[in-house]
Amino acid sequence: MVGVALSRWTMSYFATAVLALIAAEGLMLAGIGYPHAAMAAPASLLLVHLVAIGWLSLLMCGALFQFVPVLVNRPLHSNTLPLPTLILLIAGLAALLLGFAQMGGTIQTPFGFFPAAAILLGSGFVLVLWNLGRTLWAARPLPLPARFVVVGLCSLAATVFLGIIFALVLGGVATKPHLLDVTALGLPIHVIAGLGGWLTFTAFGVSYRLLAMFMLAPELEGRTTRGALYVGSTALAVAIVGGMAAICTSTNVIWPIGAGGILGLLALALYGGDIQHLYRARKRRVIELNSRMAGVALANLAATILLGIALLLAGRFNGHVGVIVFLVAFAWLSGFGLAKLYKIVAFLTWLECYGPVLGKTATPRVQDLVTEPRAQKWFALYFVAVWIAALALLFAMPLLLFQVGVGAMGLATIGIGIQLMRTRRLANVAPALRLPKGTQPPHLLHSSVQPS
Amino acid sequence: MTTSFMDVDVRPTLRAGGEPFGEIMAAIAKLQPGQGLRLLATFEPVPLFHVLGSKGFSHKAKEIGGGDWEVLFSPAAAATPADATPAKPASDTSAWPSPVQEMDNRDLDPPEPMVRILAATEAMANGEVLSALLCREPMFLLPELAKRGHAWRGAFEPDGKTYKILIRVGAAKEAA
Repeated sequence: MVGVALSRWTMSYFATAVLALIAAEGLMLAGIGYPHAAMAAPASLLLVHLVAIGWLSLLMCGALFQFVPVLVNRPLHSNTLPLPTLILLIAGLAALLLGFAQMGGTIQTPFGFFPAAAILLGSGFVLVLWNLGRTLWAARPLPLPARFVVVGLCSLAATVFLGIIFALVLGGVATKPHLLDVTALGLPIHVIAGLGGWLTFTAFGVSYRLLAMFMLAPELEGRTTRGALYVGSTALAVAIVGGMAAICTSTNVIWPIGAGGILGLLALALYGGDIQHLYRARKRRVIELNSRMAGVALANLAATILLGIALLLAGRFNGHVGVIVFLVAFAWLSGFGLAKLYKIVAFLTWLECYGPVLGKTATPRVQDLVTEPRAQKWFALYFVAVWIAALALLFAMPLLLFQVGVGAMGLATIGIGIQLMRTRRLANVAPALRLPKGTQPPHLLHSSVQPS
Repeated sequence: MTTSFMDVDVRPTLRAGGEPFGEIMAAIAKLQPGQGLRLLATFEPVPLFHVLGSKGFSHKAKEIGGGDWEVLFSPAAAATPADATPAKPASDTSAWPSPVQEMDNRDLDPPEPMVRILAATEAMANGEVLSALLCREPMFLLPELAKRGHAWRGAFEPDGKTYKILIRVGAAKEAA
């Protein structure tokens, strides 16, 4: 039991991630990709991957390098690997985006961007899985939240595996008929494994611990939490493994995906009940901005699911897949990610800068590193903007309204980004308290890990 | 069912500056199935609770005057090994003096418990012990304690919700 050190490169992941989100919002504002183009158009795929890999996956990886050790009370397997990992992921993402641009005819060069992306992203994510996998493996038996992360990482492996097949087929490297089938039919499985398994299920695991920690609520380990884990894992296995089997045996993939979906709803209901309990049973009555905004994102998730069910029952789901993906990505995952980022950056910066002198001299509190009223306005703008853009998509209103929405989302993201930077720079701390004797200003992009 | 208890009095060993851990473990190994252990010590042996908890013993501790403690370790009927990774007991198993300060940090927002603990240890003399109750393992506190040369022993109480940590100021520096 040696405790947990600061993750050295987590801030670089966060900074790259926020820049990718702003870039994606800029593209949507410029009318590139969905809804100006079809969902499966190359420009839309470029946009989706900029959000899913550049923003959400880098955010999640950066957070996991810090919080998997906290979940399992073990040091990270390697605190140096995350930097080469990040470089591989950024290079791989760039190659992938260029591959989509090539596919859409925006750039014309014979260079094989897709195979390059497959190699670079594949290696980057293998390093993520290796580093986190070794950390988790050494910590068995795992506490419940960490088991959600394990399932999330398995889903990441499935997502990347399918993505590599798609990239090799689209890049003209792989020509086996089976792989062509997988590419033609496997897209829903790739999306479910990525957004559902990797990003959402991992966020569930992390949320159990972070929400309990920051709201002084009891840690949940009871039947409903285990139920959410087991039913959710089964749902993902049925949809992903069953879906792959269906493709390979020429069965309709709708069956495993439908069965997985029903189980998934049950898991979501169990998780929703748990989270409501966490908010209700909290000892801390006045909660911070991050917990309030996470609550909005969780409510968005619930609303998105209800909307999805309503569209299915009305037989109009297929025409509105784009709205659902938009809401999952921006109303739920991005909203939750930004909310937690706001707390994590402040907390890690405070710990890095003031940890060494705590008790020896007067130090600011964590909350002195943030200015919540200012950030709250940006969060409010962000969520309202997401709802406007989603309503514009849902009711097929003029695309200009959608663009106003994403423009405001971009503005809000920049506003939150500036707040995060001010926190990292200690700019919100009163100058007299900012750097007491023995402290050093933290670097913007990496954390100094002091030798013990 | 009434449990019979084997008596182990480690007070003489402790007063002589000795180390009773081996003695206790030897006694545990000699217990009949269903038999418990009645331990007499000069302090509340918190680290032992977790060690024996992981062996399936529940405990009841009470102060019996003069700073001495009586602890009844009973074999749990359906003893299952703790699901969580048991915290390793500190390698130094010698007796620590009674805490000079006790704090209950369970209802404080993080990272306030860490701030209070470090502030308290800065005000204490070398060799003194601080006892603190927390609602989770203080993962970010431990490297800071190590950096400052303090030794610690910590474990969850049997309720599984309260984490008790004992910190001995400067003890790691002395041992090194």
